[in-house]
Amino acid sequence: MNENTSLVSAGAAIARRNKRYVIWFYLLNLAFAHFGASAFSDAAHGVLDNSLYADKLLHGFNLGVFIELLARPEFGALPAATHPAMMFAVVFFLASLLFMPGVLLGYASDHRLPRDEFYRACGRNVWRFVRLFLFFTVIAGVIAGILFPALNALVDAADKTSNERLPFFTQVIGTIIILLLLTVVRIWFDLAQTEVVLRDQRAVRKSVAAGFRKTRRNLGRLLGSYTVIAIVALAVLVAGIWLWHAIVPPSSVLGAFVVGQATMLLLLATRFWQRATAVAFYVKDLAEPIVEEVRAIPSFATPIVP
Amino acid sequence: MRMCLRLAVYLFAVWFAVPAFAQAGSPAGLTIPATVSAINSSTPLSQRVVAYDMDAKYNAKAHSLDASETLTYHNLTGQPQDTFPFHLYLNAFQPTSTWMREGKREGTRGQDFEKWDNKSYGSEDIKSFEVVGQGDLTSQLQYIHPDDDNKDDHTVVQVHLPKPIPPDGYVQFKIKFHDQFPETLERTGWNRDFVLGGQWFPKVGVWWHGAWNCHQFHAYTEFFADFGVYDVKLTVPQYEVVGASGIEVSNVNNLDGTKTVAYHGDDIHDFAWTASPHYMIYNDTFQSSMGPVKLRFMMQPAHWSQAERHARIAKEAMERFDRWYGPYPYKTLTVVDPEPGSQAMGMEYPTFITGGTSWLMPKGLLMPESVVEHEFGHQYWYGMVATNEFEDAWMDEGINQYTEAKVMDSIFGPPTSVLNVWGITAGELDEDRLLYLGVADLDPMAQDGWKYADNNSYGGITYGKTALVLLTLESVIGADTMRQAMHTYFMRYRFTHPTKEDFLKTIEEVSGKDLRWYFNQAVYGTQVLDDAILKISSVPVDWYKENLKEKKGETEYIDNVWIHRRENFIFPVEVEVKFDNGDKVREHWDGQDRWVRYQYRKKAKIESVEVDPDHKIQFDRNNFNNSRTAEANGAPARKLANYWTCIGQFFAQILAWWLV
Repeated sequence: MNENTSLVSAGAAIARRNKRYVIWFYLLNLAFAHFGASAFSDAAHGVLDNSLYADKLLHGFNLGVFIELLARPEFGALPAATHPAMMFAVVFFLASLLFMPGVLLGYASDHRLPRDEFYRACGRNVWRFVRLFLFFTVIAGVIAGILFPALNALVDAADKTSNERLPFFTQVIGTIIILLLLTVVRIWFDLAQTEVVLRDQRAVRKSVAAGFRKTRRNLGRLLGSYTVIAIVALAVLVAGIWLWHAIVPPSSVLGAFVVGQATMLLLLATRFWQRATAVAFYVKDLAEPIVEEVRAIPSFATPIVP
Repeated sequence: MRMCLRLAVYLFAVWFAVPAFAQAGSPAGLTIPATVSAINSSTPLSQRVVAYDMDAKYNAKAHSLDASETLTYHNLTGQPQDTFPFHLYLNAFQPTSTWMREGKREGTRGQDFEKWDNKSYGSEDIKSFEVVGQGDLTSQLQYIHPDDDNKDDHTVVQVHLPKPIPPDGYVQFKIKFHDQFPETLERTGWNRDFVLGGQWFPKVGVWWHGAWNCHQFHAYTEFFADFGVYDVKLTVPQYEVVGASGIEVSNVNNLDGTKTVAYHGDDIHDFAWTASPHYMIYNDTFQSSMGPVKLRFMMQPAHWSQAERHARIAKEAMERFDRWYGPYPYKTLTVVDPEPGSQAMGMEYPTFITGGTSWLMPKGLLMPESVVEHEFGHQYWYGMVATNEFEDAWMDEGINQYTEAKVMDSIFGPPTSVLNVWGITAGELDEDRLLYLGVADLDPMAQDGWKYADNNSYGGITYGKTALVLLTLESVIGADTMRQAMHTYFMRYRFTHPTKEDFLKTIEEVSGKDLRWYFNQAVYGTQVLDDAILKISSVPVDWYKENLKEKKGETEYIDNVWIHRRENFIFPVEVEVKFDNGDKVREHWDGQDRWVRYQYRKKAKIESVEVDPDHKIQFDRNNFNNSRTAEANGAPARKLANYWTCIGQFFAQILAWWLV
């Protein structure tokens, strides 16, 4: 538990020291989401701006009126409003893929990483990260592809009993277990990504193997740390929604924006916290190499941190 | 002497008359019991046409039932009858039935038959059919299909008697039958170890307006039957907890591990029952204006904490119905909380209704309340005012949806009578509008139930549109008058089978108004209403002067407002024009023309215009265009866009969280 705590706090310290990355990613996240919402926004302005009926959406949130709005022909087809949001979510994912190497390098650095080094790391690792992403997709896809149908079968079986709560709790517990397993895979690839960046490793399969070994040997610590941070993320989300409901008047657009964005920022920060924790683990692990690990990495010659 | 002669003549007449009547098919000594033990009344409340005496044994493993039925029928048709049709509703659950074919074509209520599943099979087989005094007529039974040409539909069977039953005569049928229940469909059947026995026995049709009314079972029609007396014995395994229509008369354990529970119902037109080993019973009482009503809530164990919630809404609804429309005369009301996941939720039978909830039910989500209220309302609009649900579905579902809105709004407040969770709200009116808007011009309300375009149209028109039409009618005749009209309608037509015109004429009579212009469009027609502000303008009177500087309160304007009737429903409306100096003007437009323009000359510009400013018209297809403000207010759209942005951000973060 103490080790976990130290890892989590070490990650927090790194993330706090480099909070500019969270800010930049948050701004990207906000900008892309704003672009993604523009079609929806235009359609809503077109119907609502000059209508007194819109008061039911401003001074409260009448679900019936909202559905009526979505169904109006002049609002446009719903996919036209939702697809841009999904497209820009994918764009944010691609941007994360592109810029994450620079972030990892910055996290491992004991000084503020110059901009050119940041972008150099991004450029150098972009193709490696794509390959890692494909590796991850295959492995996580196989696991999810097996476990989710199995869970569905289990839930169906639970649904045949007369215990009404059983299917629900089977679903919840099963989903938590699958998410924990997928988190293990995520830890594995987070470490592999860290290894690729810090070692400038071209052969990503070696980093995948190294990430796997490190995850296997330190599963409890790493999974514990990631889970603690994930719980914090969940708490942030719940607290954000509660605050939105409790303190923001229905008609306060600015208040809702502030609370909503603070929640999104903190939620994003928790993921960066996890990444920083992985980096902290990786750096610490290298500083105290065990015998097998030294043997397993004979070509360790370049400095870890540029 | 004269007396003796008279007596001799009388005896002579009787001697010949009795065999003559017997020959006509009516056995002597038959009658419909005048029992009143199940009602808070010293005399029967309905003209009793039927008496069902049934003894049924339920096989819980096979989900089947074997029963004997003795049906005594009183011929009040005013003419001799030698043909009797019977409903065999459970035969609908077969692949070639009309119910199933329509379901495949248009959807049923709750089941899409992508693939045939044998669990969906249901049947009602008559093993023997005897008419007392006329012999065994089993071989004479013929399936008929009065509504379509589907010879494979076996939901109506007809028997032709060798000897007709004279007017005011009686006939007794002795029927043995076997039921196979489907896994719950149309609120009948089994799920796991639960069973709901609805539409489970051969039920005679209704002689109505000079003909037998006995329709096939369609994908979204319901039922129609005559009032009478029911005595039913149900034999089930001893571990079952049983509930049924009427009052429980006896409960006896048998030596073979079964028990026989007997029920009696007065002045009802159907009988349903349920059994499950899991029910937990919550008892309560409601004091109606005719006497005490025993309330029995049969709850699922996981919903036990909601028993009080069910009881509260039942009693509040009963109190309002009693006060607004008339008394509930029965001694019992059984509220069944059916097996979760079954299609047995939300159904009405006389003195017996099913609710609908789940173990996770926030207090602000009023689903259990609205279901219990709705199904209780059917005790009035179906149970007592027994309209023809095949042909006039709007008269039970729609009128009931209207009274549901009235009751739920009065208890929980109009904006939050359906949903009030974390600032997200919805009321009954919103629900009805959503049902209606998508199908507004597809079908009229006055339509046979099986002739709707599809399931959505059936639901949207019979439930949604009817409720909106009656809510809007309140603005024409006044809410108090409307309530009085509903009261009159109930009191006048309870325990009868009124027609749509009976209802509409009652409203006209009570309101003292000719409402044909409204009913012809709203009830018999498919007209749609959409009034809109076409445009507004405020032009300075001295617009032509160079260097004109407009000053608020000083510059004079010619203000114009155009109102446009975009659709074909003609309805007089109020229009309110607000000016930027605070002035308000109300106009009354008869709505006859396609558009109207109002013009004003004022030292003020138009601030906003609104059609129907008091929001009395509930079925306007587009409420967004009912008003127009001169200045745009972007706040509502910004608020929604902000929500949308946050959702987009969250989705993007989750994607990146897992994939990078």
